[in-house]
Amino acid sequence: MFRRFKPLWGKKPGLKSTYDAVIIGGGLHSLATAYYLAKEQGMSNVAILEKNFIGFGGAGRNTAIVRANQRTQENVPLYKEALDLWPILTKELDYNLMFNNCGNLNLMHSEAAMNAARMNVCTAQFHGVESHLLDPRQIKELEPAINISPDITYPIHGAMFHPPGGVIRHDAVVWGLAKGAAAHGVHIHQQTEATAIHTDGGKITGVETHRGRINSPRVLVSAGGYSAGIINKMMGVKLPISVLTIQAMVTQPLKPVLHHVVSSGMYHAYANQTLKGEIATGAHMDQWPNYTTLTTAHYIKHQAEALSEFLPFLRGVKFMRHWAGLADMTPDMAPIMDGNDPVEGFYMNCGWGYFGFKSCTAAGRHMASFIAKGECPERLKPFGLRRYENHRLMGETAALVTYTPDN
Amino acid sequence: MALTITCPVCGKRNGYEFRYGGEDKGPRPVEEGMTPRSWCDYVHMNACVAGVQKEWWCHKNGCGAWFTIHRNTLTNLEVEGVEVTS
Ligand SMILES: Cc1cc2nc3c(=O)[nH]c(=O)nc-3n(C[C@H](O)[C@H](O)[C@H](O)COP(=O)(O)OP(=O)(O)OC[C@H]3O[C@@H](n4cnc5c(N)ncnc54)[C@H](O)[C@@H]3O)c2cc1C
Ligand SMILES: [Zn+2]
Repeated sequence: MFRRFKPLWGKKPGLKSTYDAVIIGGGLHSLATAYYLAKEQGMSNVAILEKNFIGFGGAGRNTAIVRANQRTQENVPLYKEALDLWPILTKELDYNLMFNNCGNLNLMHSEAAMNAARMNVCTAQFHGVESHLLDPRQIKELEPAINISPDITYPIHGAMFHPPGGVIRHDAVVWGLAKGAAAHGVHIHQQTEATAIHTDGGKITGVETHRGRINSPRVLVSAGGYSAGIINKMMGVKLPISVLTIQAMVTQPLKPVLHHVVSSGMYHAYANQTLKGEIATGAHMDQWPNYTTLTTAHYIKHQAEALSEFLPFLRGVKFMRHWAGLADMTPDMAPIMDGNDPVEGFYMNCGWGYFGFKSCTAAGRHMASFIAKGECPERLKPFGLRRYENHRLMGETAALVTYTPDN
Repeated sequence: MALTITCPVCGKRNGYEFRYGGEDKGPRPVEEGMTPRSWCDYVHMNACVAGVQKEWWCHKNGCGAWFTIHRNTLTNLEVEGVEVTS
């Protein structure tokens, strides 16, 4: 218990002058990409550059909800792959990710919403993702804490129930992937800010950091909510992204009372009970782009009002901590994963909004294959940047809560 | 975070009275010779500046005016009379 503290990801490596690939950002997608590059693609001469510390961004701030019931044919299989990877990674990384597959319950507050849920369930079932509809009586049996009274602002008409989803310890995923990546030879450089990307004749040649220049033929920008700003500043490529501050909070710990992840688009709130007993709850976003990651009294009030209606046992329970991070929102609520266009060796993985935790393992795995082989894997093809100019936006806005400055 | 916006008609008001209208992207591109790409740039693409940007707002729950301001996206504070560089 009193042994000396030692980082899981080994000794601090020296910054080399040349790497086969450099990844900007030290979040979940970056760590997963590096892990799979080293483990499955035989490319271990890889550097992760992180301005602060790994897990500083969305990776350490999210509410750790995982599920695979997205809306469209292109997205569901990707998220399913990610969901199926958690138990595998727990073994592979030899690290307890604390996967609690308690199931997700999405409340519906109108017949129109139930019809939308019906279609969502069909898509899920078609892809082998367990998901079905519940009526209010079944909801009450499953989760007695939910208020199904018709006498609330938005009475509950039913729910979409997705049993295989749940929550995972997000810090454990950061630490586990860092441990795994480092064990396979990846260099994780914390307190190392990327300041420029170098190109020559349409090809990537390296990255500038405040600690010096690194030569590399491949650069991936995978810096969560910071990616779009970085890509515009360093590559002059604009993205269809709006960066919003998104907030979350936890209550004081309670005895076990809430057994699923419960969410409501209408009340604009979701909640689940952590293994420590706190009710973790979130959803609110600022409606204008900003990088402040500041919390607001406005939101505490909203959350208290919403939760005390559909989860009335929370009336009088105190909020204990409240924080915020960034969500990089695209107009179709689907991410952008692309590479070698227009610059050879330049890759990007961003636009995950508030879906970037649940997806990180599968996205990282495919990005690793993309970077190592230089060819876009089938699964990622629909996620290219050019879909916007080709008017091939994805229909993910129909899944659950849409929240962008455009609506 | 809390935000105040200065409406040219009503003056400085609580930010929640306003609707964000996007980054200022200059005039709408002319139809003549327009490509899907130039239209896409105008409609979807953002600079996502971490710093001062020129942007549109509508005083939705007020006088209804549309106007531009300069705001620092790192602090949410309005900035007066600056030249946007990036
Ligand atoms: C409050 C909140 C709740 C959320 N809830 C969920 C949820 O329940 N489920 C879900 O799936 N998703 C959720 N998300 C979204 C998810 O957390 C993000 O989509 C995801 O973490 C972003 O990807 P990432 O981890 O790879 O990047 P991040 O962790 O955001 O990493 C970006 C990193 O890049 C670094 N960086 C920035 N600029 C530079 C530079 N120039 N050089 C070097 N490094 C740089 C930053 O310091 C940061 O550490 C939530 C997000 C928030 C904020
Ligand atoms: Zn006004």
